[in-house]
Parts: sequence; C-alpha cells; structure tokens
Amino acid sequence: MKGKRFLLWFTLASLLGVALSQQTPFQQRVSQAIQSGGPEFQKSMQQDPDQALCSQYRDKLPAELVPAFLERQRKLIKYPADGRLMGDWKKGEELFTNPRKGNCYACHTGDPREAGAGNMGPGLVGYGARGTSEAVVKYTYDKIYNAWASMPCSLMYRAGYHGILSPEDTAHIVAFLLDPASPVNANLKR
Amino acid sequence: MGRFLGLLVALVLGLGALGVLAQEEDDPVKEAEKQKQQLLEQSGGILPSDLYVQQGEELFKAKRGPKQASLEACDFGRGPGRLEGVVGRLPRYFFDTRRVEDLDSRIRTCMIRLQGFRPEEIRRSEVVAIAFYIASLSNEKTMYVRPLLPQEKQLYELGERLFYLRAGPRDMGCASCHVTYVGRRAGVLPYSDLLGDKRVASHWPAFRYSNDQAWTMADRIRACYANLGMPAPDFYSEPIIALTLFMNAQARGARMDLPGFIR
Repeated sequence: MKGKRFLLWFTLASLLGVALSQQTPFQQRVSQAIQSGGPEFQKSMQQDPDQALCSQYRDKLPAELVPAFLERQRKLIKYPADGRLMGDWKKGEELFTNPRKGNCYACHTGDPREAGAGNMGPGLVGYGARGTSEAVVKYTYDKIYNAWASMPCSLMYRAGYHGILSPEDTAHIVAFLLDPASPVNANLKR
Repeated sequence: MGRFLGLLVALVLGLGALGVLAQEEDDPVKEAEKQKQQLLEQSGGILPSDLYVQQGEELFKAKRGPKQASLEACDFGRGPGRLEGVVGRLPRYFFDTRRVEDLDSRIRTCMIRLQGFRPEEIRRSEVVAIAFYIASLSNEKTMYVRPLLPQEKQLYELGERLFYLRAGPRDMGCASCHVTYVGRRAGVLPYSDLLGDKRVASHWPAFRYSNDQAWTMADRIRACYANLGMPAPDFYSEPIIALTLFMNAQARGARMDLPGFIR
C-alpha cells in the first residue's frame, strides 16, 4: 500500500519535472504564437537543435560549443554513390543560378558576366586558381553541401542537408567553381 | 592634343555617369522619390496610392455588412472615430478584444464587431484599402510605438525572438539580412536597416511601384518568409503582429511617410 502511494507520487513528480524542463513559460508563449500563424508556418518554424543554437546566440556561438557543433554538422554530409566530387560544370552553372536550387548567385559572383549577382558572400570569380587537388575538391564539396560544417551559423544555408541539392548536384556546382573550362575561371587562362 | 582633350572629357563624363548610376542603385529612397515625381507628372498629380486611399475612405464610411453600419465608430486607440496619427501608436493593446492588435487586425475586428461580418467574409483587398485611408490621416505624424502594458512588452519580446529565429530550408531569419548582413545585396536588392534606420518601419502601408502592389506591413512580412522558402504566417496572426510591434518600436521618433511609396 505504502509502495503504491510512493509510486503514484513518484510518477506525478516526474511528469511535472518533464513538463517543467521542456519549456519555459516564454518558450511556451512563443510556440503558441507560432501555432497561431497556421499549420504550414508552424511546421516550417520548427528548428533543428543547431538552428536553435544559432538563433539563441544570434550567430555568435560561444567557443566551447563550436567543436561539438562542427562535429554534428560534419556527420550530416553525404557523398555521391560513385565517389566523384567533381561533376559537370555546365549542369553546375544551371544549379548555381536557379533560384529554386542553389540560388548561389544571389550572394556570390560566379560567372563575372552575371549582372544580377549579390555580394552577401565572397566573390568566386577565379575560384579555380586553387587547383583541383583532392583536398580543395573535398573542401569545396563540403562547404556547398553543408556550410555549417566549417563555419558555425554562417549565413550560407545547408543546401545538401536540406535536400535542396543532391550529392550529385553538389558535385556539379563544385565543377562549375573548379573546372578550368568554366566561365568562373575564364580570367585564369591568360 | 585636341583629340587627347576630347578623350579626357569623354572619360570624365563617362565616369561621372557611372557614379550617378551607382549612387541611384545604392540609395533606394532617392530612386523612389524620382519614380514618384515621374509618376506624378505622367498622371497629372495623382498617385496610385491616392486611389487606394479614396477607395478605403468610401469603404470606411459606407453602411455595410449584416449590421448596416459604417466603421466610423471604430476605436483605433484614441477613441471612437479619432483617426489622426493612430498608425504611429500601433500595434497596441485593446481592452475590448484583450489582445494587442496592429492596423490590419484592428480593421478586421471592427468589420466583425461593428458591421457584423463573419471572419471568412472579410476581403483582404478591402482591409488594405481601409488601411491606406487610415494611414493617410497619420501622414507626417510621429511614430511613437512604445510597449508599456505587460501584454505589449510580452509581444515585443516575442517579436524580437521571431525576428532573430533562423529556421526553414534556407536556415535564415529576418535578422540574417536586415541586421547581420545589412548593407550587402542579395541579387540586386539592398536590404533595409531595420534597427538603424527609423524610416524603414515608418512608411507602411505602402505602394510598391516596381510591381504595382498595395502592401501593408503584414504583406511585407509574409513575402519575406516566402523569400526564405517558408510558408507565410496567416494574415492577422500573432507572429505578424509581434514582428510588426518589434519593428515599429525601432522607428520611434520617425516622421511617418504615409502611405509609403517604395520599390
């Protein structure tokens, strides 16, 4: 009898503990408000744990959190089945400029003739000057597939992780940046 | 020698023209002012936003809805029927609905309560036109949104949280473009400095000449989410009101330019 009562209190206390540890009242208020924006909006505002960290620290992640953050993000990178990280630069060009796919030119100049390129990110004209060593190709691939695996909370979105670019798509964009025949590297020929 | 001088003059003129072009691109406010003057000259002094204001005034004063009432008794915060400058103090807490409301949701509230419309009967285009009319009566008044009541303070904090919240397939939030990378361009468009430039939040609702649209702040917020690849929050919902409160409070002290005229 005593045991039963203890069990009851224990269960109640742990339920309360779970409820309290999950969300502060303000967080609950935030969830309620997001819910009132409609089911689709609510779904899209669900953050993964690292989006939540970047929001909480306003993109300035404390140094002690960085190693584990990078490790988690590195694990999310997937590679093409055939292992080739450099594809077809022409397909890469289409993916680089397509607003629904890479949309890369919104922030980076690629082909210097592209007039509407933005400057949120560094310009990439002549990116191929780095050569096509295994290390360069892999760094470029990883950066495009998951930018947060090298720079926590970078503005650059994780196009591969979110499925906007497949591993093969990513390899095509790598080629657009590194292939000597790509217009990105036209200025290197002289 | 003469040829050399001619070349020099051409070069200087060319550079000067480039400079002018670059300046226009860099200052959307000046560019909008130029477009406004052009439009005024072409139309004989009438802007598209004037037509929305007129339409809104007619809708506001007409006896409509199941209750055959006008909106003239609607209280936007300064008492029933007092409309001058009200936009500068919205969103604010209303004791009758017991919630913080922005201009759009307050118009909707009055259409429901005074005119008897059912929520699903309310047409967005009518709310926008009425918002333009009410905004026109706040032109050149001062923006003085200041969260004072607990409900307002809480919603302000909520808006701030949403403003910095990064989510969705592009890992972004409002602050990514409007704070962290402000001054840079995505494509050809520069982003407004929401925390640093008081003019930004003090010109809504506004007419957008680039695509001939009449927008309130709610439309602006919804389009921003769409640009981030995220479904927009519903009209009149709390995320929109919270974000509007946060942004409008940043514009405190600005002289309002209403209805706005922007790209």
